[in-house]
Amino acid sequence: MLPSPIVEELRGVVGRESVIVSPNDLRIFERDGSIEGALPDAVVLASTTEHVAEVMKIAARHKIPVVPRGAGTGLSGGAVTIRGGIALQVTRMRRILEVDPVAQTALVEPGVVNQELSLVVAQHGLFYAPDPSSQKACTIGGNAAENSGGPHCLYYGVTTNHVLGMEVVLADGSVHWVSGDTPDRTGLDLCGILVGSEGTLCAITKIKVRLLRIPPSISTMLAAFPSIETASQAVSAVIGRGIVPAALEMMDSVTVGAVEAHYHAGYPTDAGAVLLVEVDGTAESTRELMAAIGKVLDENHGYGLREAQTPAERELLWAGRKGAIGALGRIKPNYYLHDGVVPRSRLPQVLSAVGEIGEHYKLPVANVFHAGDGNLHPNILFDMRDKEVLHQVESAGEEMLRAVVELGGALSGEHGIGLEKAAFMSWIYSEDDLGAMHRVKDVFDPTGILNPGKIFPDDARRTVHLAGRTGLAVEAKWW
Amino acid sequence: MVVTQEAPRTADELATTLREAAQAKLAVVAVGGGRAQGMGGAPSRCDVELHTTHLDRVLEHSQADMVVSVEAGITLEALQEHLARDRQFLPVDPFNSPGHTIGGLLATGWTGPLRFRFGSARDFLIGIRVATPDGKLATGGGRVVKNVSGYDMMKLHYGALGSLGVIVAASFKVFPRPLHDVTVTSDGGWDDADRALATPVAPSALEVFSDGRVLARYTGSRDAVERVVKELGWTAEEQSIWDRHARRAPARWARIAAPRTELRRLVEDLPRGAGWWASPGVGVAHWAIASDARSVKEVRQRAEAAGGSLVMLAAPDDFLREVGAWGTPPATIEIMRNLKRAFDPDGVLNPGRFVV
Repeated sequence: MLPSPIVEELRGVVGRESVIVSPNDLRIFERDGSIEGALPDAVVLASTTEHVAEVMKIAARHKIPVVPRGAGTGLSGGAVTIRGGIALQVTRMRRILEVDPVAQTALVEPGVVNQELSLVVAQHGLFYAPDPSSQKACTIGGNAAENSGGPHCLYYGVTTNHVLGMEVVLADGSVHWVSGDTPDRTGLDLCGILVGSEGTLCAITKIKVRLLRIPPSISTMLAAFPSIETASQAVSAVIGRGIVPAALEMMDSVTVGAVEAHYHAGYPTDAGAVLLVEVDGTAESTRELMAAIGKVLDENHGYGLREAQTPAERELLWAGRKGAIGALGRIKPNYYLHDGVVPRSRLPQVLSAVGEIGEHYKLPVANVFHAGDGNLHPNILFDMRDKEVLHQVESAGEEMLRAVVELGGALSGEHGIGLEKAAFMSWIYSEDDLGAMHRVKDVFDPTGILNPGKIFPDDARRTVHLAGRTGLAVEAKWW
Repeated sequence: MVVTQEAPRTADELATTLREAAQAKLAVVAVGGGRAQGMGGAPSRCDVELHTTHLDRVLEHSQADMVVSVEAGITLEALQEHLARDRQFLPVDPFNSPGHTIGGLLATGWTGPLRFRFGSARDFLIGIRVATPDGKLATGGGRVVKNVSGYDMMKLHYGALGSLGVIVAASFKVFPRPLHDVTVTSDGGWDDADRALATPVAPSALEVFSDGRVLARYTGSRDAVERVVKELGWTAEEQSIWDRHARRAPARWARIAAPRTELRRLVEDLPRGAGWWASPGVGVAHWAIASDARSVKEVRQRAEAAGGSLVMLAAPDDFLREVGAWGTPPATIEIMRNLKRAFDPDGVLNPGRFVV
């Protein structure tokens, strides 16, 4: 609970109705898309940059934690107010301020929904490339804070490759523009370091993004495989042949079963794994690339290759992929999703480790992920009403991440470290590595009011225990 | 002034040398291939030159993962040769080649024509290791192509001209050699360049020159490339033209950056008879300066008014002093200074050279 004079101060900035303190209402803001939650002391609904700046000044004066929050679809606990304080909700800042079809840029407020931007700029033949599976709900501000990815990042790159500049509010309430639509700007790349900083360095109030031309031709193909291993090998074979498709996604049999029951997209339910491949370009190039890919898949135990013949068919194939996690609700009501990333050639090893861990804990695991990037998404399925199981789920998730790290991978490909993986950061970074990140934190937020308890292991509440079970050797670091 | 030359054999040795110099408050200038030595202000002090020459190994290259890790002192050419064995490459083609080191390219942020299609190294740098004046070696990122584990420390050091630390190693996402790679030319100047920009497949590189020449490079699937090139109807050009282009390095030159839509106007306003070349798809032009300092300052003023910049890449000292290397400091300079103080509290790294 915030003392009422502070609540009154906040109300003075955004108006009485836009500060939420009633415990019942606060519950709505308790969680994001991950499994842990914590109540904020207050939710402030900001509508302008000035609101954000003034709220930040009040928070700085009283040393109250501030957690910027968009749609709350994040999967690593980044938006969870684990130390209480203010959830600074920016979803009312949802205007697309400017679209420049010639320069191919857009200026948006942080609450603009990802997919909405692409829908709006489609009239100019343009699209916004980063496409997280939650794109129907997630905000561009949240995407920039988390440096989100999506299926098409294989070819197009992640959010940071598409953010040209931002207006940000720092912990002292000061407002700054970082970078912009000019290349090679003089000075340090502040925008680059702020994208992906998970709300721990600034609040984002405007984002200038790069837009791309919609390719004239898009071709999407589905292929079945006898097993996850054969499908993984096919992925490596495609890329090894020098072909980088726009997207290269994998689903295992558990996922395919759930998706097919829900979407009837024509996924082969007898397959051990399914690949969804997309290429884009001109009609000539997509035809040539798809033929080459088809040949490689064929040589690598792929069967039942099926190319979408109409845009509607293509949409349906993607609906199955992007809605996969929702469809998993048919199996269990809750899921716990990690997004470790390994060198692509290690996919077969890491996936078999993931399978073993699931069996060990007797928890169903559904894999649906960005195979081309080596970015796995094992969904551990469970029922939260069973209080006993939660600890098992967390332990299984931790072991899966451990397997990822042992194979030379990283903790997160696109969801962020947030709350859930902060304790594991020392698995991949030394004290000196983290010390350098701390220096950055201290410059931007010397009093530590911005999203405390995230990213850094020393802030984490859980103790680290390095329970290696896979027997895989921990590899030397990459130097 | 006696300058000590140091060429450490390992990253650890480099970090130690750096720490010892910093403890003695000696000014340290890191040197790679020396190809971008003229960029920025002349160092106000230089007691130790720290050469990365011996840090020239490929640490790991996984053909299947399309990832390579190298030490900072390896030259771009040596790395390309290594990658070429697996039909892969790093899409960086800086001017004043050959001889750039990877560390130098990352510190300076220099790019070339291929930036239009592939972006700059900023976009495919996936890991970095940096020595700081306290003698520590800090890693950011890793060896995987997609990674949001912690802050993006690669961005902090890319283009920072060694002001926060000395880059000792880096990892990159690499690319397959294009299936088909064709270059065509015309003498139609900006209007033809605009035509090339509007083709259904965008060129991978597009350069316009002050004599009206245009070079367009198309890569990708054979059918698509051939169709576009046929529609464009320009003359075929040899691929070796790009190597020759990359050798450009006037004795006195500057880089002009602007929003893409403003670049043509800025370049057309250069002093009459000026020699220049530009990447209209990127928003960057290079100017071989034959005018006086006053006209350079006027061009910079116009570039800055358009939201861009003019940075000196090489010039005699007195000319450089008069023009200034960087122009108006960014509005966020205080934050940058704070970052500088956090990493290099005694200001021993490259003093006077960068904006912080």
